Order: sequence, then C-alpha cells, then structure tokens
Amino acid sequence: MGALAFPAVFTLPFPRHVMIMIFLYGALATAWNIIAGYCGQIALGQAVFFGIGAYTSSLLYTRVGLTPWAGMIGGVILAVLVSQVVGYPVFRLRGHYFAIATIAVGEIVQALIINWDAIGGGRGVFLPIKRPDSFLNFQFHTSKAYYYYIALGLLLLALGITRWIEGSRRGYYFRAIREDQDAAAALGVNVAREKLRALAISAGLTAMGGSFWAQYLLFIDPESVFPLSLSILICLVAVLGGVGTLWGPLLGAAVLVPLQEGTRVMLGGTGKAIDLLIYGALIIVISVAQPGGLMGLFGVSRGAGSAR
Amino acid sequence: MHRFATSLLAVFLVFAIVAAAPSGAVAQSKEIVIGVLYPMTGPTAQAGVDNKPVIEIGTDIANGVTDLPFPFYQKLKGMPGLKGAKIRLVFADHQGKPELGQAEAERLITQEKVHAIVGCWHSGVTATASQVAERHGIPFLNPESSSPGLHRRGLKWFFRTSPHDEHFTQAMFDFFRDFEKKRGVKIKTAGLTYDGTLFGADSGKIMKELAKKSGVDVTLDLQYKLQSTSLQSEVQRLKAANPDVWMPTSYQTDAILFVRTAKELDYNAKMVMAQDAGHISPDFVQAVGRDAEGTMSRAPFNTDLIDKRPVAKALNALYTKKHGKELYDFPARSFTGYMTLLDAINRAGSTDPEQIRQALVATNIPGDQLIMTWDGIKFDENGQNTHVKAIIIQLQGGKFYTVWPWDSATRDVIYPIPAWKDRK
Amino acid sequence: MGFVYALIAAGLSLIFGLMEIVNFAHGEFLMVAMYVAFFAWALLKLDPLVSLPLAALLLGTLGFTVYHGIIRRVLDGPMLAQIFATFGLAVLLRSAAQFLFGVDFRTVSQPLLAGRVALGPVFIGVPQLAASVAALAAFVGLFLFLSRSETGLALQATAQDRHAAALMGIDTQRMFALGWAIGSACVGVAGGLLAMFFYIFPDVGTPFALLAYVTVALGGFGNVPATLAGGVLVGLVEAFGGLYLTPALKYSAVFALYLGVVLWRPQGLFGRF
Repeated sequence: MGALAFPAVFTLPFPRHVMIMIFLYGALATAWNIIAGYCGQIALGQAVFFGIGAYTSSLLYTRVGLTPWAGMIGGVILAVLVSQVVGYPVFRLRGHYFAIATIAVGEIVQALIINWDAIGGGRGVFLPIKRPDSFLNFQFHTSKAYYYYIALGLLLLALGITRWIEGSRRGYYFRAIREDQDAAAALGVNVAREKLRALAISAGLTAMGGSFWAQYLLFIDPESVFPLSLSILICLVAVLGGVGTLWGPLLGAAVLVPLQEGTRVMLGGTGKAIDLLIYGALIIVISVAQPGGLMGLFGVSRGAGSAR
Repeated sequence: MHRFATSLLAVFLVFAIVAAAPSGAVAQSKEIVIGVLYPMTGPTAQAGVDNKPVIEIGTDIANGVTDLPFPFYQKLKGMPGLKGAKIRLVFADHQGKPELGQAEAERLITQEKVHAIVGCWHSGVTATASQVAERHGIPFLNPESSSPGLHRRGLKWFFRTSPHDEHFTQAMFDFFRDFEKKRGVKIKTAGLTYDGTLFGADSGKIMKELAKKSGVDVTLDLQYKLQSTSLQSEVQRLKAANPDVWMPTSYQTDAILFVRTAKELDYNAKMVMAQDAGHISPDFVQAVGRDAEGTMSRAPFNTDLIDKRPVAKALNALYTKKHGKELYDFPARSFTGYMTLLDAINRAGSTDPEQIRQALVATNIPGDQLIMTWDGIKFDENGQNTHVKAIIIQLQGGKFYTVWPWDSATRDVIYPIPAWKDRK
Repeated sequence: MGFVYALIAAGLSLIFGLMEIVNFAHGEFLMVAMYVAFFAWALLKLDPLVSLPLAALLLGTLGFTVYHGIIRRVLDGPMLAQIFATFGLAVLLRSAAQFLFGVDFRTVSQPLLAGRVALGPVFIGVPQLAASVAALAAFVGLFLFLSRSETGLALQATAQDRHAAALMGIDTQRMFALGWAIGSACVGVAGGLLAMFFYIFPDVGTPFALLAYVTVALGGFGNVPATLAGGVLVGLVEAFGGLYLTPALKYSAVFALYLGVVLWRPQGLFGRF
C-alpha cells in the first residue's frame, strides 16, 4: 500500500528514481533468485538476458516501429530461447565450473554484440524522444510516476512468480536439485529439464527488466546492458538480502541501492572515491556480520543451502 | 546481533532520508547554480579530476575572485548581467556509466535546482544526461564529447562547443592532402585500430567513410577490446599490413600499451595519426612520450599554443598554480564550454532556463578571446558550434607541438618516424 | 603472457584448493603489487625485477592480514557470503588506491631490461621474456615447495581434507593463513613482473582477474600445476586468436576454449573436483 502511495508523497524525481532502481534491481535479483537461490545454480550471466531484452524492444521500435510493449514480449521470447540453447549444454557443469561458464557465455555474447555492425555495434542504439507522453510509446517525460508503477509491476510479477513456485510442486523439485542433484535425480526429478525451466523463467523476467531499462534511459550500448558487472551486481543484491527467500532479494535492493546512490550523492563529486571506499567497507562488514544475508536479521532462516 | 541489526537499519534510514530530502539549500535568487557532471571515479576519472580545477577557476573569474585580464572575461567579472549574483557549483560523479549520468542529471536538476549543466566527457553519458536536461527544459552545455550523433537528435536544449569526430577526422584527411602538396608524399594506405566503445566505433566508421572519399585505401581495419591485457597480436597484424599511416583510436590504457608493444615487436610505423583521447593525455606523454616520438593527433587545443595565445598563457598560469599540471586539451575544452555558458547566462540577465537558452542560441564569441584556435563560437540550429577548427599536433622530443595548419604550426612535421633501431 | 597469466592464476588456484574460496579481489591484489613495484622504482630507484621480493613480501602480508581480518570470519558461511566479502574487499582496495595514489596512469619507464629478440618471424620483448622466465621459475619454486617441503605437504593435506589434517595435528588455521600469504605472494611476483611493461592505475587488475578465473577453471580447480597448463593455453589462444581472427574477439576465443574444454571434461583439464 505504502509503495503505491509513494509517488504522491515524494514528488521529486530523484527519490522516485531511487525507488525505481530498487524495484528494478529487486525484480532482477528476484529473477536471479529463482535460478540461483531456489535451484542452486550460481549463474553469473544474467546480463545476457537483460541485454537481449533491451536490444530486442529497442530495435523492434526503431527499425520496425513496433510498440516497446510488444518488443518486451519479443525480448522475453528471444531470451527464453537463448536461455534454453545455452543452458542445455552448460547445465551439465557444476559448482564453480558452471559459474565461470556463465561468465564466459556473457563475455562472448557482449563481444559479439559489440562487433555486430548491423545493430549498431559499439555505437549502441539511440531511441528517439517522442512527445507527448504516450503509453504506447512507453515514454513518459512529464512524470516519473509511470515508470515507477511499471517497475513496481515488474517487481510484483517477479515476486508473484516466486511465491507461486515456492508453493508448487516445481518449487520442491528446484530445492531438491539445490540440496542434492544426484539424490533428486534418483527420486525421479528430471534434473536437466527442471533447471532449464528455472532458467527460462529467470531469463524471461530479466529480459523484461532490460526492455524497461532501455525505455527508461532511451540509450543503450553493449557496455551498459551486457556487462559482467551487471550480472555480478544482480547477484550481490540477492546475496545481501538473502538467497532462497522470497523477500531477500528485494530487501537487498532496498539496502544496496540507496547505499550506493547515497554515498555517491554525498561524496562522489570529490574525485577521491571516498564513496566507493565506504561502500566497499560496508559490504565487508555486512558479509562478516551477517553471512546469511540481511533476512537473518528478521529471524527468517535461510532457505538456501550453500552451493558447494 | 540485535544491536547490530538496529544500527544497520538506522544507517539505512539515514541514507533513505538523505536521498529523499532535497540536499543543499534552496536556491536563492542571488545565486546561479551550475551542475558539473564528470567521471570522478573509475577508469577515466582523470578527465573529471583534471577538469574540476579549471571549472573552479572559471567560477572564480565570474565571482570576481580571480582575474583573467581580457575583455571577454572582464565582462563576466561579477556577472553584471545579474547584478553580481554569485555562482555556486555542484559537482557530480557519473563513473562513466550512462545510467548514472541520467540519474545524476536528474538529481542535479530537480534537487540541487541547477540552472544549467556542464558535462559529461563520455559520449555515451552525455547522450543520456542531455536527454534528461531536454525533458526538464534545462540548458545542457557539452564542452567535449565528440560522437557526431549527439547533436543530430533534434534536441532544443543541447549545445556543444567542441568539434566532433567528423570535423576532426576531416582535418586528418585535409592534412594528408596538404602534406602531399608540401612534401610530395602521398598517403595511399591506412591501417585503423579502434576499440569497441561508442567513441571507438564512431571514429572507425567515419575514418572508413572519409578514407573512401579521399581515395585512401584502408588495408587493415581492426577493432579490439577495450583494456586488453595484451596487444601483441594486434601489433603483429599492423606490422604485417604495414600501411602508409596507422590511425589509432584509443583511450589512455590501450594507447600506452600499443606503443610499448610496438617497441617490443619492432613495428615501425611511418606515420601515426591518432584520434585524440588517450594519445594526447599527459599520462600517455609521461609514460611513453619518448617512445611515441612522431605520433600525430588531431586536437582542438595544444599546450604549445599557450605561448602564442596570451589568453591561454594567463589561464595556464592559474591552472598550474591550482592543480600543479599544465593546461591541456581536456581542461581547455571544458573551460571554453563553461565560459560560453557563463557568458550566455550573463547576457540573459536571468537564471530563467528559456532566457539562458535563447542567449546561448545568440552566442557569438570572437575567436581571439578564446584559448582555442577556433574562429569563434556560434551555434547552428542543432546546438553545434560551427566555428570550430581542428589542429594537428605531433610529439617531438616528448612534447606535443602544433604542426598543421601550416600558419599555426610551431614545428615542422617529422616524417617518416625514425625506426626503433635508429633511435636512442 | 601465458606464464604471467598462469602465475596470477596460481595464487587463486592455491587459495581455492585450500579452502574452496574464490577471491574476487584477486585482480586488486595484482594492482596493489604493481603499485608496490612502481613506488619502489619511483622512490627507491629499484627496478621492478629487483623489488620482486619486496612485492612478494608485502603482498604476502596483505594476504595474511586479509585472511585473519575477513576470510576467517566468513569461512563457515555459505559460498555466496564469501564471494560477497571478497567483492567488497575489491571495491575497497580499488577505491583506496584511487584515494591514495590518484587516477593517473603510471608506468615504469626505462626498465632494466628492454629490447627484443626474434624467434623466427615472431618478435618477443625482452621484458616479456624475462617475465615469462621469472614466472616459470616462481612456478617451479611454488611447486617444489608444495610437493617437497613439510609445510607444503601439510598445506596439501589441509587442502585435501581439513578435518583429517586437523586430527593429524596440523594447525589448519595456520595453514589457511599461510595459503593466503603464499597465494598473494604469487600475485605479488606477477604484479612486479607485469609492472615492467604494463601501465598501472587503480582499475588495472579487473581484466587480468577475469582471465585468471578462466585459467584456474581451465586447468581444473585445486590443481596448481594444471594452472600452468591453463595459463599457457590461454596465452596461446589469445595470441593466435588475435592474429588469425579479429582481435576484438580474441578473448571470446579464450572463453570459447574454456566452454569447449569443460563441456568435454566437466572438471577442467586436470581438475580433481
């Protein structure tokens, strides 16, 4: 309820921007939580799906004139397809080999996009500014409230899907795979298929985030939507809050995003990197004091086992 | 643990409140607030860190604290158009990331209540930050980004004082033409190396187009990865192709590594024509200045012009005193853009965005008042300065000298660059 | 470059083998080592080659401190918390470097070694060659230490089964700290060598760290000698990929190699996990 009323209380764009970023990273981290927290597969290539979402909707809009909403669905479809093609072989790997393989895939995809001249290569894609605001064009210049509600919707969708998975038979399969993949297989869980499904859901949600990002910024390039740092940030947000819990990733975003923005706003202009100094130190303190994620503070026991 | 949890929540709350509350005082009527948005951390932080002092000098001039005894700057002293209103700067850091550029521009406009924004060095960040300014109807002055696409977006509030890559690259090919006339050496083949960023890819594209137009054959077209850990294979390819001119586009990191690798692998380029950026930064010169002997670059400004231009000399003295470094291209362009903005605000006689915008449109600064060698500053309908002029500079004995156009030149062109074995 | 990659990766591999922690601040350790070499050169007029022991010693101390200050406290936590802690350390070190040293790019000019030698049609810079030889020597030294000395064997025993090792009277805490010290010292040496021909700035470590992770995984986690093979392979693929493919895709070739190898052998080339 409070979230819905927020734009009415805070009318300035910057707090709204911070809230939008919390929702977006919350949604992305929640999506990652499905594959990593519940299914136990530490995937560090989420930026691939994010970038696919951003590029698909943007290119369909600039080249074909298709509304970004349809482009978003196109991005989801493409991301899911890619996730299955890539996931099929890579899911044979375990532990760190899997994690590094996902990094490798992410880096290869980014390099290919940079070198793909037909879609702009390193120059990226500029989205034309369309006035007046229109829901169809997915551009709102007079007020950020629209973006706010769309991001909130995305977050609620991600949380809703997670909630549904938690309670369904599929959720038990996922957790069984996380705890012991071999035992799960012995009990008749089709491990390969379940992992692919988890990744598909995660990829689709991440791609939606990418399309939203493209419409929010109106400029994308491979450095900003396909970077490894994004994949890692998504992971950090979720880990901070607590993986394998429904609310953990959102809590992580609610702490990390304002922390990042706050330190930068207060100390970022000095050129001395004091903001990042504090940020890094706080991350260490949190991980030492609360290794299970901040959800531990609320007495929620971690659902996640370690992915050893 | 509970105490820890409580304190953590308290920290979070403080941040939440600080982020939500409009920081800084509410703008007073007697104050002109200008947002300055540069990379202050991250791989390209040097640009922001070196530009900050020059912006502060410009502010001191307008606030009457510092004196730059030339008519154009005297006119701005104390901002008489606004009856002595004081300028307050708000610096913000975008770390070279487009999304932070957008967020910070938004914060500057809506919370710091800036009347105009200067920035952002990176073309990609300028792209997103200027869109925010456009949305809010706040003048955005870009002193240095060189991606040609930026002023073709139909923005009303975007102004760029610097030349862009098409101007610059055209100057290179003009130079080749003039060079042939003067020294009888025809440049027939070119080898291009550029990174995968917006800057690199744009530069590569334009160079290819202009080469085609000028009848220069591109025999090697290499895109490489930003911040490579090794450039050995790239240099070996150059060596094998051995073009008449090697035309690199690089940021500092790769520019330094390219030169070191070329030395190790004994690649002797006859002529090197670089696209500014990394190749002219002081770090590059300090790190590999001797080894990069003969490297040419396009530039809008060069330090040796300081002696030729009294304005530049005076500013350089101020800059060196404040920052301990010589004035070079980045701060020179930043200063020029910033003073253009102050001039417009002064003429507007108001901090009203629309009036500042109209004053910017009417800008007409004569060339002799600038530290640049430009013909002046005058914007076209897209906000691009049309009176720009690029120069070609060359590293000679560890320092850059202007070598073209011939009438501004302080040194002759060294050609061909001596081979590694002939140097000491 | 392959040997240098291997040496950077060796430290990572050692630490991982010992306690299954991936140090995400590894690239930043390398950066610190390069700054040590730079300041030794700039202030004490010591060539990076001469200051190698200094770099190794200081980095070893750093590793030791980090272990006791941070890692020991998250050792029993989940893997993700460990990643998180070392990531925070990476941000901290990087920004500390900017805070202390500024953002200027630094290089060691006029190193002791310069010039180049021709190996058939291929030229190799002397500093690179020296770096390769020194990296190889450091590697052999590390290997001998691990396989011959009593402490080295104790380290390996701890790596294989820390509880059994503890029962045998090995002080595992000491071993872990020692592992961090030695692993970091390896990076110290690599950083010193790299400083001979590479530029230095706060963000310099990141691309190397990424290659180091791939190198370790390629050879196989927990197998230090295999890391050498991984490093050489990465170096070769990088060089030839850049020569015969487009350079923009040379790292893609390295990553593709990794994917190819692990899909064929899911434990890397010689891995035991």
